[in-house]
Amino acid sequence: MSQAKSDTRQWPFRAVLIANRGEIAVRVLRTVQALGLKAVVVYHAADRGTLAVQLADHAIEITGTTPVAAYLDGEQILKAAKASGAGAIHPGYGFLSENTGFARAVEAAGLVFIGPKPEQIDLMGDKVRARNFVEKAGFPVAPSAIEDDDPRTFNERARKVGTPLLIKPSAGGGGKGMRIVRDLKTLDAEIERARSEGQRYFGDGRLYVERYIENPRHIEVQVLGDSHGNVVHVFERECSVQRRFQKIVEETPSPALDDKLRGEICETAAGIARSAGYRGAGTVEFIFGEGGEFYFLEMNTRLQVEHPVTEEITGIDLVLEQLRIAAGEKLGYSQAEVKAQGHAIEFRIYAEDPGRGYTPTTGPVLRLRPPTGEGIRWDSGIVEGGEVTAAFDPMIAKLIVRGADRREAMARADQALASTVLLGCKTNTAFLRRLLNHPAFVEGAIHTGFLDAHPEIAADPEMPEATLHKLLAAASLVTRPMRDVADCVPDLHAAIGNWRN
Amino acid sequence: MHHAFKIGETEVSVELSRAREGYRLHVGEWVIPVNLGAAADGHHWLTLDGETVEVVIATRGDDVFIHVDGEAHQLQYEHPLDRLAHQAGGAAADSVRAPMPGSLVSVAVKAGDTVSKGQTLLVMESMKMETTVISPRDGVVAEIHQAMGQTFDRDALLVTLAPESENKP
Repeated sequence: MSQAKSDTRQWPFRAVLIANRGEIAVRVLRTVQALGLKAVVVYHAADRGTLAVQLADHAIEITGTTPVAAYLDGEQILKAAKASGAGAIHPGYGFLSENTGFARAVEAAGLVFIGPKPEQIDLMGDKVRARNFVEKAGFPVAPSAIEDDDPRTFNERARKVGTPLLIKPSAGGGGKGMRIVRDLKTLDAEIERARSEGQRYFGDGRLYVERYIENPRHIEVQVLGDSHGNVVHVFERECSVQRRFQKIVEETPSPALDDKLRGEICETAAGIARSAGYRGAGTVEFIFGEGGEFYFLEMNTRLQVEHPVTEEITGIDLVLEQLRIAAGEKLGYSQAEVKAQGHAIEFRIYAEDPGRGYTPTTGPVLRLRPPTGEGIRWDSGIVEGGEVTAAFDPMIAKLIVRGADRREAMARADQALASTVLLGCKTNTAFLRRLLNHPAFVEGAIHTGFLDAHPEIAADPEMPEATLHKLLAAASLVTRPMRDVADCVPDLHAAIGNWRN
Repeated sequence: MHHAFKIGETEVSVELSRAREGYRLHVGEWVIPVNLGAAADGHHWLTLDGETVEVVIATRGDDVFIHVDGEAHQLQYEHPLDRLAHQAGGAAADSVRAPMPGSLVSVAVKAGDTVSKGQTLLVMESMKMETTVISPRDGVVAEIHQAMGQTFDRDALLVTLAPESENKP
């Protein structure tokens, strides 16, 4: 679809402050600058050397007791917006993106919040209220027990949901604090643990429990709504490959859907957004069972990490749409005009060690050579000479690959992952190649427990002797003490002394 | 002279010697002709037994990072003297190290406490996940090395146990 031509001179803002960091700050900045608007970036000192700060028209340092705390300090960020003359704030994802109080404060300060209305963030941010809202609006939700309904009988009602069941913090997101219970004997203890985690991470220990769908897929639908009551969906994303409830690989279209099911799930999402009078870019997440049944999971009221795959198959710049909507423009196109072509897959490049339980890694970025080529997109906020620290989320880049079909996208992805050079900090790229070439992934037969069911994908494979020899040769030849010793022994002497095979 | 590299948990002894052209790599029973040439944009051509492959190499201190055959690897050069000292060192089970970077959430023991194998020493947090760190053996806590809320890297020393001989009468 051709992107609408906007006249930004009519917009209520000329500069946009990006209240985020890393790859998403760069992503938003690129669209802002392409429109001829000024991009203002706030950054903590730990991010001084990052790409977003380098590219910004104006970068303002913010401080905090921890680096993360700086990006959560709404008051400081609002001050930076005023000081820099930014008329709008884009929150990216995470941090303040789904914080009702911040969205309200932005509007109270006379600035434009690039996102939904505060009451919509509020509604969808509370899983319990969101679920009730969706159920009342006539859309499908899974069997569950909600603590708030009657806290005294919660454990008993949770028991009745039946195993396997999933415990979640009401205020949570991103898989934090979630627990699966397969044996009811452990239910009470797991509820206590989940409550303590919810209390610590979200300041809210309320829980809810729902039936856990075995081998479920996680399929989500991108929606866009403007301030004039128009809502469209922008197709689905399959996000079933996860580790510890966090996504690793996302693709569109989903291999699980035929045209009929695709129409149903996408229309359901658009219907939910319409019921909420939704404004901005949002994502409706569904749990999708083996029999083709699907239930509402949650709605994310922000741009998603995996938004690029949607952009790649539709040609729609979702950040541009967010900006246009925030500026008060109409979508300007109907559902029928939103068309998709080809296949796109996103791989999240994490600084982590899959062979050691996906634990985060840290280190300097000594060499960085992103992949290039037909259909290859690299969204990243790190630069060579930078450093991956434990201060932030371990996702350091996203590789997005487009092809005419899934097969072509996968072939390009394998090549791109192999040619991605990042030295100094261990990443998951080799693991992603093993995943991509696994027969089940090739067939699209994936579910959210796929990696737990196939631990061999995460395990470090035995190193072939030929590879070992290459590594030892290269390492020896760049190690000064070894080269010095070799160079001071005459050639002839060495030749006589050491032949053994 | 005995050189070695550590790859993951494995240590591999290796020697390098000069050949008429380039060098020879001595590893185990193998002697392999090798050479390294610099190419444009910072990568290298590695010749090994007549075959040439592209490699990208970066070093920092004793760490050598190599991208070859589509994958990145890390090796660590082991100084001959350090290896000697390490072999004479104490039992590894005296130290409890961080399995991942993170920070402390709670500490269940203090110096002087008697602990049994499997007992919870502390709970740490990494990427919003709690991990319980347990005692590797029976013993007495000698020291807690991290303060609450302080962040640390993987392999940071968390707790030391008194050496086993001190616990015995």
